[in-house]
Amino acid sequence: MAHSHKPEKEKPVGPSSKLVSLVAQFDDPDSLVAACDRARREGYQKMDAYSPFPVHGIDDAIGIRRTRLPFFVLAIAFCGLAFALFLQYYVNSTDESPLFPGYKFFISGKPLGVPGVPANIPVTFEIIVLSSAFATFFGMWILNGLPRFANPLHRIPRFRRATNDRFFLVLEAEDEKFNESRSRQQLEEWGATAIEECHLDLTDHEIPKNFKMAGIVLLFALLLPPALIYRAAGMTNRNPRLHVVPDMDWQDKFKTQTVGPNFSNDELVPDYLFGDPSAMRHPVAGTIARGDATGQDEFHLGYKPGSEPAPAHGGPNANTQDPAVQDPAAQAAEPEWLTSFPGGVQVSEATIARGKQRFEIYCTPCHGFDGNGGGLTNQHAQALAVQGKANWTAVKSLHDPAVKSQAVGRIFDTITNGRATMGPYQNQIPAADRWAIVMYVKALQQTGIETTGATAEASSATEAPAGN
Amino acid sequence: MASTIDMSLDNTFEDPSRRAPLVLGGMDYGDVTDNVAAIWEADRPPKTWYVVFTIALVLLGILGACLFHLIMKGTGVWGNNNPVYWGFPIVNFVFWVGIGHAGTLISAILFLFRQNWRTSINRAAEAMTIFAVVCAGLFPGVHIGRLWVFYWLFPVPTEHLAMWPNFRSPLLWDVFAVGTYATVSLLFWYMGMVPDIATFRDRTKTKLGKFVYSLLSLGWTGSARNWHRYEMAYTILAALATPLVLSVHTIVSFDFAVSQLPGWHTTIFPPYFVAGAIFSGFAMVVTLMVPCRSLFKLERLITIRHLENMNKIIMATGLMVGTAYGIEFFIAWYGGVKYEGFAFWNRAFGNYWWAYWIMVSCNVFIPQLFWIKWFRTNLVAMVIICIFVNIGMWFERFVITMSLSRDFLPSSWAMFRPTEIDILMLIGSFGLFFTLFTLFCRFLPVIAISEVKNVIPHDHHDDEHGDHSGAEVAAAH
Amino acid sequence: MHERRPGKVTSPIVSLSTSYVKLVPFGLILAALGFGIGYLMSGGDFQRFSFSYLTVFCTALSTMLGCLFFVVSQHLTRAGWSATVRRIGEIYAMSVPLMLLLFLVILVPILLMNYSAVYGWVKDGWTGGSPNPSFQELKDTYLNKMWFGIRIVAYFSIWGLMAWSFFGTSLKQDTTGDKLLSRKMQKSATWKMIIFAATIVFASFDLEMSLAPRWFSTMFPVYFFAGGVMSAFALISLTSLLLQRSGRVTDEITTEHYHDLAKLTFAFVFFWGYIAFSQFLLIWYANLPEETFWYRYRMADLAGSGWKNWSLLLLFGHLFIPFLGLMARTVRRNKTYLLFANIYILVMHWVDHYWIIMPQLGTMKATDPETAPLALPFNPLIDIPMLVGITGIVITFFCVLAADRPLIALKDPRLEEALNYKNV
Repeated sequence: MAHSHKPEKEKPVGPSSKLVSLVAQFDDPDSLVAACDRARREGYQKMDAYSPFPVHGIDDAIGIRRTRLPFFVLAIAFCGLAFALFLQYYVNSTDESPLFPGYKFFISGKPLGVPGVPANIPVTFEIIVLSSAFATFFGMWILNGLPRFANPLHRIPRFRRATNDRFFLVLEAEDEKFNESRSRQQLEEWGATAIEECHLDLTDHEIPKNFKMAGIVLLFALLLPPALIYRAAGMTNRNPRLHVVPDMDWQDKFKTQTVGPNFSNDELVPDYLFGDPSAMRHPVAGTIARGDATGQDEFHLGYKPGSEPAPAHGGPNANTQDPAVQDPAAQAAEPEWLTSFPGGVQVSEATIARGKQRFEIYCTPCHGFDGNGGGLTNQHAQALAVQGKANWTAVKSLHDPAVKSQAVGRIFDTITNGRATMGPYQNQIPAADRWAIVMYVKALQQTGIETTGATAEASSATEAPAGN
Repeated sequence: MASTIDMSLDNTFEDPSRRAPLVLGGMDYGDVTDNVAAIWEADRPPKTWYVVFTIALVLLGILGACLFHLIMKGTGVWGNNNPVYWGFPIVNFVFWVGIGHAGTLISAILFLFRQNWRTSINRAAEAMTIFAVVCAGLFPGVHIGRLWVFYWLFPVPTEHLAMWPNFRSPLLWDVFAVGTYATVSLLFWYMGMVPDIATFRDRTKTKLGKFVYSLLSLGWTGSARNWHRYEMAYTILAALATPLVLSVHTIVSFDFAVSQLPGWHTTIFPPYFVAGAIFSGFAMVVTLMVPCRSLFKLERLITIRHLENMNKIIMATGLMVGTAYGIEFFIAWYGGVKYEGFAFWNRAFGNYWWAYWIMVSCNVFIPQLFWIKWFRTNLVAMVIICIFVNIGMWFERFVITMSLSRDFLPSSWAMFRPTEIDILMLIGSFGLFFTLFTLFCRFLPVIAISEVKNVIPHDHHDDEHGDHSGAEVAAAH
Repeated sequence: MHERRPGKVTSPIVSLSTSYVKLVPFGLILAALGFGIGYLMSGGDFQRFSFSYLTVFCTALSTMLGCLFFVVSQHLTRAGWSATVRRIGEIYAMSVPLMLLLFLVILVPILLMNYSAVYGWVKDGWTGGSPNPSFQELKDTYLNKMWFGIRIVAYFSIWGLMAWSFFGTSLKQDTTGDKLLSRKMQKSATWKMIIFAATIVFASFDLEMSLAPRWFSTMFPVYFFAGGVMSAFALISLTSLLLQRSGRVTDEITTEHYHDLAKLTFAFVFFWGYIAFSQFLLIWYANLPEETFWYRYRMADLAGSGWKNWSLLLLFGHLFIPFLGLMARTVRRNKTYLLFANIYILVMHWVDHYWIIMPQLGTMKATDPETAPLALPFNPLIDIPMLVGITGIVITFFCVLAADRPLIALKDPRLEEALNYKNV
């Protein structure tokens, strides 16, 4: 630590530099605090102490007021709270928005909106902490006036020990009480072990040349994006969108009904992957297509096997959307419907109960619980049909005399293959359950529920041929 | 003065009337700076450093190769199966996040509790925290499959997707928790380092060093006004980091505990995970600090007392974890839910019994050795115990995750078998961790120089009260 | 530089001296009046009275256990700052074994008369609204009145021994000034802390969780503990304030100590909130019937029972308001604010235990708690006198134990440190 600050001393002499402060060195924190205390009592206001670590008691000695940082952080924390709650509400509990619609998605039974708030607390908490931490970190640097890279103090070699093992009191020249010689004398009196002058170099104002060049280049570079956007605004591009990552846009696979790979180099002797040019495989011998395995007996058909009319119109499988298209002659030809339950169906209360349960799952959406067509789907569709927004054939009441008179096999067939707008249920409901539903329908028909007028008329009108 | 290392002074004594010195060998402020800066001022680091760094780089290379393979082939290269959808990746994730808890705990919670001894270890522990969180983030990060759309994790408005993340999912909470934790830890670490980087700036002789350290130290001068706001900001960050550190492992535990799976759904999980995290994190700090202090000659700053205190905390948190194991078992029986009962019986005696007993031995039985002072103060013994603790904590997460292998549906029960990639990625993650840590040791202040100076007794006072006033300064927070 | 205070007690009055002779009867009268009015107002309904009594009992007991934790933890961590207020904690911790006398009101009817109107598991085949099936095995091995009685006596004995070892040793140090006693207490605090943790786990299961048998939460002991410690700090701070208002230990307990106690209260308000929320969230999210029924009763406002409002009171009154209120440094250092804040915290702690215990009264009375939930039974004419009664008991116990003993550890080796530190 010799006096090696000569080069610095030469420079400031002359009009080109200005004395900004006196820097006094102290060797231990206690004398620094004592000196600060004296300085404050002498009336110095513009001064600061520098130390390698926060010295206890220095705040009072210099007269530093408590920082307002905590209040700033608290305010930001509340903003974070509001933002987090809004974000989560908007994103997961709203649906419509002009710009970016929310994603209102009901998941794992967790309620939307305010009742679902417990699930939003963790993220809310994290956002509060994150925003407060940023507020603390950046708030502290801003209040401290940092980063500040050009500081005349850094030019004093002795001052480098402020981050190591020495303590400094700096009296600024701007202070009203400051007087170079008197202040120097006072500092010595207070125990300073060395005193230096801190000069601000007034000549050193020029911006370095390469900084200027870099600035100009940067300015031009900044103009590029808006220029490109302006150019692109009125253009039409026929090329497909740029795929940075192809994802699943293109996949290595053979589509159906295409030619398979040929490994042979000889055109005349092809070598296909599977022995033939088809990229698709044939089913293994003996494969049964879905639905083909259904038994062709009374239990699965609802009529005596072999009694079906000629297959001109597809037999009982007629499921044409528009009943008017159906051929009345063909409609007249009907198989021999079962009039009693086939073997394997036990007529019992348990079966009826099972039928009721299945009925309520599969049938009530249209037919309603009482079978009168009061189901929500039917109601809604009819309402739409009245407004002309939908094409809907009203659901037939199960208490319609035409239905009441139907044989059990006939009802079974309706469930199995559908009628008019009603779709087939053979894939959803096993045959035994279909019989159970038939049994329940029959029981329902015995309850004495009257057909509601309008529905009955509408349904009998639209499906009259089938009803006979 | 700096040359007289008085290692004979035992500072592990128990004398209620005075505080033990935390810096030995009569070091003054300059000595502390010299001691810490010597690591970085040396022309080249010790040979051991090169050995460790080379091994770490090799492991990092393995990790890189595994990652490349994974991204090219897809997550099928892992052993994850049905029903063990979460295999090694979640185990490794929780393991590393847990380790990442010690740093912030030391810098924030011990700070609020005015534990001055934290000053010698907090910097390295914070660095370790950040590196561990990097390792942790890696696993769920690559688990998302299509890495290039990682930004879907965040609530970014998109016109063409018309889709947002689901804020009711604990996995999204994780994104926020780990993201916040990494960010706040980084801020905390960097802010704490600024005065020390300024010290390096004022000592460096190279032009590049001057430029880099000047930039990083933001022009810090150590002004009292700056220190005042700095300390306030440090206190606020500590107060924020304390609930944050609790929340992170709590939310990680929610990943498991909000489900209905027996063995996962239990309400003690949040505090139990936090205790486990502190446990494993401290064990990792001890494992790292013991070799560091002898390699870089920091014995006078990281004293046996520091290590002993950490070992005591390891023992205490180990007991908390053990208590939680016990409560879980008791309630599995008390609650009378048979699935719960089965899950716990199966843990101890079922298909992964060996993992369970490794966990219990390493986490509950072995740390009990710390009741004996010899184990608490012997360097080799404590490192061995701490390594066992970390093995045990890895197995704890493994055991919990493997609850999946015996879920509600016996027909889908299956064993989990890790693939080579699973194992190599686990090993490789240590490479990433140690690469970062060795670089940190070489180029940044390993010890919080300015904070340690705070706990040095002012030698101008009489000796007896010296370290009290040191204690008092830190106590002032 | 600042002048250091020597580690000597300088207050003119450091004990209750003779005023405890007046305070003990005052406390007893208060207790008798409170409990008497409570019983009369419940119209001789012993079940209603017992539930209300159990609520105030658990409120006081958990607070005193919090004080015991405070004492053990301060020794364990070699804390210096708390040397001035630790004695108050020791006295409260010492009241824990005396609380067993109070619990006899609940325990004796169970043991002698098979009284099952409070702890339903005493009766056969009662499930307390839980969807779980019968729990005969649990009753045979754990939840039966004999075992319950033995466990209760064991808990209180263990706590009593622990509290006495600290209190007695600390009193001995007052006369001898032997600093090795501090070291001894620190060493024994290690294993005592473990025993404390183990007993409080099972005590919380037995006293409160078993009111709803088959409802289970592994977090419950932590919840019980967090609330107790929070109110313990408030109670110690409140007692110090009152003692200083009456001119005792005026020099030693400074603003710095109040500041620290308030910070710890604040920390535990948050910790309690963390534990309460985690427990709630996990049960709410997983939505398992064997757990949710407990929260459903308290929060879903079944048939307008009013419990939902009580839950909201807990959320705002026990978490948000004290959290924001104690955040400000001005509040933490202002003795007038603190007096109010500490009383408020203690009342909120009672609200918390009311919320845990009283809904079980409804499940006891209703045959099916799902369909016929009982309305919030809060009746100011019963519950407030009970609160006054327990206050009388706490005063009595404190005065009996403090007697003319010093209210501050006179020769604690860390007293000097405690007298000289400063918060920022």
